Amino acid sequence: MKVEEMLVKCEFEQWLYDEAQLLDDIEFDEWFDLMHSSLCYQMPVRVNKDGVERPDYSTKMFTFNDDIELLKLRVDRLKTDYAWAEIPPSRTRRFVSNVRVKDFVEGEKAVVKSYLLIYRSRSTDIQHDLISGERNDEFIFEDGKWKLSKRIFIVDQTTINTRNLAIFV
Amino acid sequence: MLKTDKSIEEMSKQQVVSYLNETVKPEEGVIPAYLLGNQTVYDIEHEKVFLKTWVFVGHESEVPNKGDYMTRDLAGYSLIITRDNEGGIRAFYNMCTHRGMKLCRADKGNKTLFTCPYHGFNFKNTGELVGVPLQKDIYGGTLDRSQMGLHQVKLESYKGLLFGTWNEDVEPLEEFLGDIKWYLDILVGRAEMEVIGVPQRFVVSSNWKVGSDNFVGDSYHTMVTHGSIAKLGMVPNATYSKRGFQIHTENGHGLNLGTPNPDFAFPEELKNEFKSNLSEEQYEVLSNLKNMIGNVFPNLSFLISHTKIKDQFISNTSIRMWRPIGHNKMEVIAWMLVEKNASQDWKDRSRDSFILTFSPSGIFEQDDTEVFTDITEAAQGPMPFLKNLTYNYTMGLHREPVDFIGPGVAYDDKFTEASQRNFYKYWLELMTK
Repeated sequence: MKVEEMLVKCEFEQWLYDEAQLLDDIEFDEWFDLMHSSLCYQMPVRVNKDGVERPDYSTKMFTFNDDIELLKLRVDRLKTDYAWAEIPPSRTRRFVSNVRVKDFVEGEKAVVKSYLLIYRSRSTDIQHDLISGERNDEFIFEDGKWKLSKRIFIVDQTTINTRNLAIFV
Repeated sequence: MLKTDKSIEEMSKQQVVSYLNETVKPEEGVIPAYLLGNQTVYDIEHEKVFLKTWVFVGHESEVPNKGDYMTRDLAGYSLIITRDNEGGIRAFYNMCTHRGMKLCRADKGNKTLFTCPYHGFNFKNTGELVGVPLQKDIYGGTLDRSQMGLHQVKLESYKGLLFGTWNEDVEPLEEFLGDIKWYLDILVGRAEMEVIGVPQRFVVSSNWKVGSDNFVGDSYHTMVTHGSIAKLGMVPNATYSKRGFQIHTENGHGLNLGTPNPDFAFPEELKNEFKSNLSEEQYEVLSNLKNMIGNVFPNLSFLISHTKIKDQFISNTSIRMWRPIGHNKMEVIAWMLVEKNASQDWKDRSRDSFILTFSPSGIFEQDDTEVFTDITEAAQGPMPFLKNLTYNYTMGLHREPVDFIGPGVAYDDKFTEASQRNFYKYWLELMTK
C-alpha cells in the first residue's frame, strides 16, 4: 500500500470513528449533519439461500430505506417525548474495523467498505444484543467535508436478534 | 380472590387446565398475568392451540413460478412449501423419511428435486421419493419407495393466504375463518396482491399473545404509545385512533376499522379492480377506510395503515405473525403486500411507508416492541401466579353492539376491549377442551 493510500484510509477510518462516537453519544443532530442531501440509507433483508447464489439479500425489501427527508423524520421523532423505544436510550458501542477504500477521487468522491459490530444494552437487562454487518458507504466531498451519500448495511442475520432498530446502523 | 397452595410448576397439566377455567374470565374482563409467563401454559398452548388450529404459513405470491419453494414454520416444525409443474401448491414436513435429516435448509429458491444431505435420498417437489443411492445393490430390490414419500401437511388457501395445520380433523379453513373472511377480502382480496421481496424477521422477548391482543383490539394505546406519530403530523391528531368500529367474529378473530377517511387510501386507478372483487358493502368500507388492524386467531395480525409522508398520503398493507419461540420470546415475521397492478411509484412509496412505520425499524413498531417486552417481563415467574395478578379487560363491557354494514359483533368506536375478550374466550375454549 502506498503512503498516499494509507493516508486516505486513515482519513476515512477517522471519519467512521467520529461517526460512531456521535451515534453512541446520542448526538443525532450532529450525526445528521454528516449526511449528504442526496443520501440513500439502506439495510436490505438478508436471505438464507441455497448454495453460493448471490446476492444473499433481498433487492426489494429493506429494514431501512431512507432518503434525507425520512432520516430527518426519524431523528426528529427521537426528540419527541413519546419515542418510547429509546426512553431511556440504549447504551450502544459501535466497533468499526476492516476499513477498505475501494474508490477515491480527491476532493470529489469515495467508496469505502467497513465492518460494523454494534453492542446494545437496554434498561437494566443483563442480556445484550449484538448486530454485525458490513457497511458499503459512498461519500461526496462538499463544503470542505466528506458527506455520506449512500450506505448499504448488509446485516449478518436473517432474523434480527434485537427487539427493534430504533438505533442507526 | 382464588388461592392455591400449589405453585403452577407442581401442578399436572390437567390441574393447570382446570385452574385456567377458574381464573381466566374473559367475559368479566379478567385475564391473569401468569398466562404470559408460564412454561406449562405455553406447552398446553402448543398442543391445544398451535397443533390444532390453522396457522398462517405464507402467501401464494411468494412461490409464483413452477419449481419455486420456500421453507416455513408450522407450530415449531419446518415445512417445505412447493409449487409443482401443474401450478399446485403443497406443503411437506421438512424431514427426510429415511433418517429424519432436515431436507431443505434454504429460505427459498427454485428446484424440483430435494436431495438429503445425509444419504442422498432424492424427493420430487410433489413429495415422491424418486432416488436412493445404490438402491438395488444395498436393498436388494426390497425398498418400497412408494411408502417413503415426504409427509404431506394439510394446506389450504384463502385469497392467497396459505394456512397449514397438523390437525387431520380440523374444520375447513373457510369455516374456521368464518365472518372474518369478509374483512380479509378487503385486506387481501380487493385486488391481485403480491408480497414485496421477502418477509422481515426479528426476535422480541415477548409472549406471542401480547402481539395478538394488541392488534385484535387495542386501538386505545395508539394515542400514547404512538404519540410521536401525531407530533410529526403523520396522522391527524392523538385521538384519531378512536374513530371507527371495533368488530369481532367467532373463533377469536377480530379487527378495528378506522373510518371515515376523506381521502381514498388505495391506488385510484384500480377502483374498477376493487369493485369487481368486492361486494358493494365491502367497497363502501374500503372507500372510507383510514386504517384496519386485526388478528386472525391465533397469531396472524394484519394491518392497513394510511399516513401522510412527505406531504403525501400513502397506505400500506401488511400481515405479520407472532411466532412463539418460548413463553417469553417470539419471532415477528412481517410481510408487506401490494396491489400487483399498482404503478411502480405507488408500490415503492407504499413499501417505503411500511419500512418507515411497521418494519423492525418502523417508528410505530419500535415503540410497541418496547411495551411488549416489559409486559412479558413483569409476568414471569411464580409471583404473578401466587398473587393472582390480573389485567383489566373491562373497557366497553357496558356497551351494546351496533348495526354494521359487515358481519360480526360491531361497536361504534374502537375504544373497547370486546375483541380481546373474544380472543381470550376462544383461547380458553381450546385450552380447556
